[in-house]
Amino acid sequence: MTGDHQERPPALLQLRRMTKRYGEVVACDGVDLDLHAGEIHGILGENGAGKSTLMKMVIGLALPDHGSMILDGESCKIYDPLDAARHGIGMVHQHYSLVDALTVWENVALGEKGAFDPGATRAKVVEITERYGLEVDPDAPVRDLSAGIRQRVEIIKCLRHEPRIIILDEPTAVLTPAESERLFEVLLEGVRREGWAVALVSHKLDEVLAATDRITIMRDGKVVDRVATADADAPSLAREMVGRDVTLRVGAAAIGTLADTRIIDETEEHGHGGLPPVLQVTDARVKAGDGRVMLDGLSLDVYPGEVVGVAGVEGNGQTTLARTLASLIRLNSGKVLVEGAEVHSGKAGAMHRAGISVIPADRHHSGCVPEMSVAENLVLGSLEEYSRHGVLDADAIRLRARDLIEEFDIHCPGCDTPLGELSGGNQQRVVLARSLSVRPKVLVAHQPTRGLDVGAIEYIGNRLRAAADEGIGVLLLSTDLGEIAALSDRILVAYRGRIIGEMTRADMDMERLGLLIGGSTAGEDAA
Amino acid sequence: MGGFLAALWDIFSSPTMYGSAVRLGGFLAFAALGELVAEKAGTINISVEGSLLAGAFTGTVAFDMTNSTVLGLLAGIAGGLIVALIQANMSHRLTADQFVVGLTANVLVLGLAGFLNGILDPMARRAAVIEIPLLSDIPLIGPALFGQTWPTYLLYPLIPLTWWLLYRTRWGLEVRAVGENPQAADVSGIDVNKRRRQAICYGGVLAGIGGAFLVLGQVGTFDTGAVGGRGFIAIAAVYFGGWRLGGVLLGSFLFGLADAFRLALPVLGYQLNAQLLAALPYVLTLVVMYAITKQFRQPAALSRPFIRGLR
Amino acid sequence: MTSRTRSLPSLSARNRSGMEMAVLYVLSLGGAVLISGALVALTGNSWLRVFGALMDGAFLAPGRWGETLVVAAPMLLVALGMVIGVKAGFFNIGQEGQLLMGAMAMAWVGTRLSGPGPVLLIGGLALAVVAGGGWAGVAAVMRFRRGVPEVISTLLLVFVALQVSGFAVTTDWLLRDLDQNRPSRAVASAALPDNIHLPVIRIFGNEFNIGIILALLLAGLVAFGLVRTVWGFRLRMLGHNPNVAQKVGVASTRTGAAALCLSGGLAGLAGAVMLAGGSSGFRVTSGFAQNFGWQGLLVALLARSRPLAAIPMAILFAALRTGSGFLAATGVDRKIVDVVQALLVLALLIPPAIQFIRQRRRALAQAGEE
Repeated sequence: MTGDHQERPPALLQLRRMTKRYGEVVACDGVDLDLHAGEIHGILGENGAGKSTLMKMVIGLALPDHGSMILDGESCKIYDPLDAARHGIGMVHQHYSLVDALTVWENVALGEKGAFDPGATRAKVVEITERYGLEVDPDAPVRDLSAGIRQRVEIIKCLRHEPRIIILDEPTAVLTPAESERLFEVLLEGVRREGWAVALVSHKLDEVLAATDRITIMRDGKVVDRVATADADAPSLAREMVGRDVTLRVGAAAIGTLADTRIIDETEEHGHGGLPPVLQVTDARVKAGDGRVMLDGLSLDVYPGEVVGVAGVEGNGQTTLARTLASLIRLNSGKVLVEGAEVHSGKAGAMHRAGISVIPADRHHSGCVPEMSVAENLVLGSLEEYSRHGVLDADAIRLRARDLIEEFDIHCPGCDTPLGELSGGNQQRVVLARSLSVRPKVLVAHQPTRGLDVGAIEYIGNRLRAAADEGIGVLLLSTDLGEIAALSDRILVAYRGRIIGEMTRADMDMERLGLLIGGSTAGEDAA
Repeated sequence: MGGFLAALWDIFSSPTMYGSAVRLGGFLAFAALGELVAEKAGTINISVEGSLLAGAFTGTVAFDMTNSTVLGLLAGIAGGLIVALIQANMSHRLTADQFVVGLTANVLVLGLAGFLNGILDPMARRAAVIEIPLLSDIPLIGPALFGQTWPTYLLYPLIPLTWWLLYRTRWGLEVRAVGENPQAADVSGIDVNKRRRQAICYGGVLAGIGGAFLVLGQVGTFDTGAVGGRGFIAIAAVYFGGWRLGGVLLGSFLFGLADAFRLALPVLGYQLNAQLLAALPYVLTLVVMYAITKQFRQPAALSRPFIRGLR
Repeated sequence: MTSRTRSLPSLSARNRSGMEMAVLYVLSLGGAVLISGALVALTGNSWLRVFGALMDGAFLAPGRWGETLVVAAPMLLVALGMVIGVKAGFFNIGQEGQLLMGAMAMAWVGTRLSGPGPVLLIGGLALAVVAGGGWAGVAAVMRFRRGVPEVISTLLLVFVALQVSGFAVTTDWLLRDLDQNRPSRAVASAALPDNIHLPVIRIFGNEFNIGIILALLLAGLVAFGLVRTVWGFRLRMLGHNPNVAQKVGVASTRTGAAALCLSGGLAGLAGAVMLAGGSSGFRVTSGFAQNFGWQGLLVALLARSRPLAAIPMAILFAALRTGSGFLAATGVDRKIVDVVQALLVLALLIPPAIQFIRQRRRALAQAGEE
């Protein structure tokens, strides 16, 4: 299906000179893009390259400052997502657009205008599910659905408007490999049978290479190249996307060029040399307030000096585990031990005092205080060291902050700047700096690189490895298999609140890992 | 002890007690129904107290000017709505803290009502009692529910109307969505803060009717202390009801019953300290909230402001 | 998230936004004044005369600024309590009731216990803190054990406190004046004996009690405490992000409950200062609180939760209050002042809200996409 450029009919949707500024930042700078019927078009770029902004303008979530959109040969303007739907443009969000408390059909109805007819909406949902083989119960509350099923609901929500142009924003981030494959099957089917024009927005090279017909590469708000997928090769795409050669494993994993994990350097042996585990979680069980089981007898050990990666699709207990280790959740049963001593779960600061540092997936949830200054954020875990008789030693705090700002290369106007004014990458560095500066015995990193650019991803990956080399036990929770594979000495797989598989770096097998993540333990002794 | 039980029996078997419970609970129910919608959309609207008082005052003034209960009720709606508009626009357009705005709005209405009441000194009168044939003959609850002043009956159609709005219209679906997950609603193309403003305004309209009903359908005179914190009891009724319509009505009626009980005691000749009795509805509300609040799942984004890009 | 292209607003941009803020403040305050003026006009009076009367009543007439300081003290104390609550992330708005509880505690110590005056005075003030704090503590227990929002519980507790005070001053074994000869004894406590009054300072023909000095000292202490102590740091951390606080060892249950109780305690202290400073003739009556609790809240809102900014705001509100005493001569109801106060707060909410929206847009811009 790769394009025969000359004979193709004019594009279904043409974007011309699309430009969007936010204040002094140009997020999208004169971008041209053609989406053709019957094609899957990959839009590849790092976080912050401007691809999401471009799509937001197409879907009406952001208004362009300049530029025009030509749909079917006619110029058009899109003001909001419903407007976009009327023009036949739909977007599949990761799973941000679903309301947990509502049922599937109610969620589908949420994106509509006009007469409110539950019966018709329900019937439509059933029709779409049958037509595309997306089994979903229209009356099920979304709360009870897994990430994979939720994505189906997103797709139904999008297809309900019978779009001709479909935009997918990082669609596989929350899916198992099998679910991703299923998604692309549905897409291909639609593209072939109904002539959809699909835009696949992604920062993962392998995915774009596997699923698309053409690729547009963006960097710093501009288009840097356009290629037919058949003519593309991964290394040059990577270079264009990042703007330099990506040599480090972590960086390569971040953009999905690390297809064969066996290239991993196995000369270093990160054995624990007979030391006892620094962190033990045994048979941890947590039930949420609404009765859902979050942790279902999860057990794991982390030894000093190793990185243990916990792989798994989002929503399989990682968040609960990370929050438990941050003293935010109390276990219903089971134990957490640090160096053999039990730590009270759910007791304010207990894990912190025992030597567990947690970098949360959502730094605004429990990672930092955006309203407080950079310096205050850097010391908030060790106030005793920077105070006398309960009075803070402002000079000592500032001195310490300056040291950390330098050591962790944090870009900020000064240590008294409110943290919220820093960029996401720098905020994350502050969280990392604080987490490491308290000299933890265990460092828990949950999705530490999500949403960062490759430079920041490499940096954080290196710091995690370095931490392990210093003898800290590192627990890495990530949904990104590449990241897990690149950094871990040992890999565990979390599924439905428990660990269902384990492999060491030596016997790492991406295929088996993919199956395990989907919950398949065929031929496996559940660990 | 036996005497005490007999007293309780006397009170709870007296039809007047239920009549007054319906009046007092009805007043709460007007406010609580509106507050339910506002909370479903994600706002704890403490200015419901101000809306009630504003509705009571404007209703009284309009009645004084026109001698028409209908116009009084309409003016009450306007009064309640004005307060709601201030709340809605300050908290969900300008994104000022909803409690700060609500508190200030309450103080403002109290001051304005006091000030203007001194100047205008409006007079009101209670509307006529209309007994609905047949229905009012049902023993005990008949006269209580169907032998009231006619503005009371406004409540009855508002109950199914509110239910229909919340659960059978697109607007209601969107209101529930913005109260549960404003980010998702936003991405789906819903103007989150607009829906929240509208929900607050619906609450303002109902509280406005409630306030006017208080004067024109229940008490017959205006007094700046007439509402006296019962807007907050209405909020408690929403909590009591677990954000479900039936529960909210039950809560309103129960709190109304407590109020009626307090009023009935002395009438029936039982002596108890007046002040402690007056505190009873508030204490009961507090006790009930303590007992039940954890039982229900509240709208997930309740009292959280929505600003695009900020979680 | 585009760290590369990020830059800070230039100096001229900052000046420009400063100018815009000034204009916004002028506009919104002007609006509040206009509405107030219209209300005065409604009564057929001149705004200038009303303003003159307010100034006379608050500052210019003999002995008035001293009176204004006396009134400012409890308002400032209530506002400080509010500030502490807000900093810790809790919205205690039941000060009107907590203040009453404090006043009652003071009255009980002063009229029912015997001992040396200073001991009783200090003991009364201390018990008032406990009483006000305890009353807020009820809300704290409800919040931390059962998740009842303190906004609602503290409000409801105001109405309970009002009735409790009514009960106390009409009940012999609590606070009722036991002197059979006083005609109005049935609804008031006995007066505090002379030796339990707050010491009075006389200066330039004005007199005021040391309540204002106590309040100013506490304002300084709270300001220092919030910014420069571990306690304040932990409180602010809790207020901004309870999860981070919990993670590093600040339990919202304990620290939050302490903040709520302290918040109520300061309101209780305000009540005791009012009583021992001569409010209602040194007697607790059922209407004793006189909206001081509500007005103190508005002071804190006006000061945007900064303890030192609360000082001038408390004096402003106190001036409006004492000034309103002179309004009778103009024929304007003194309740106009309640309206003006609320309008001022609403007006002052607007400019920062607009600024916040703008900053938000800019931040979104700098965060680039997503």
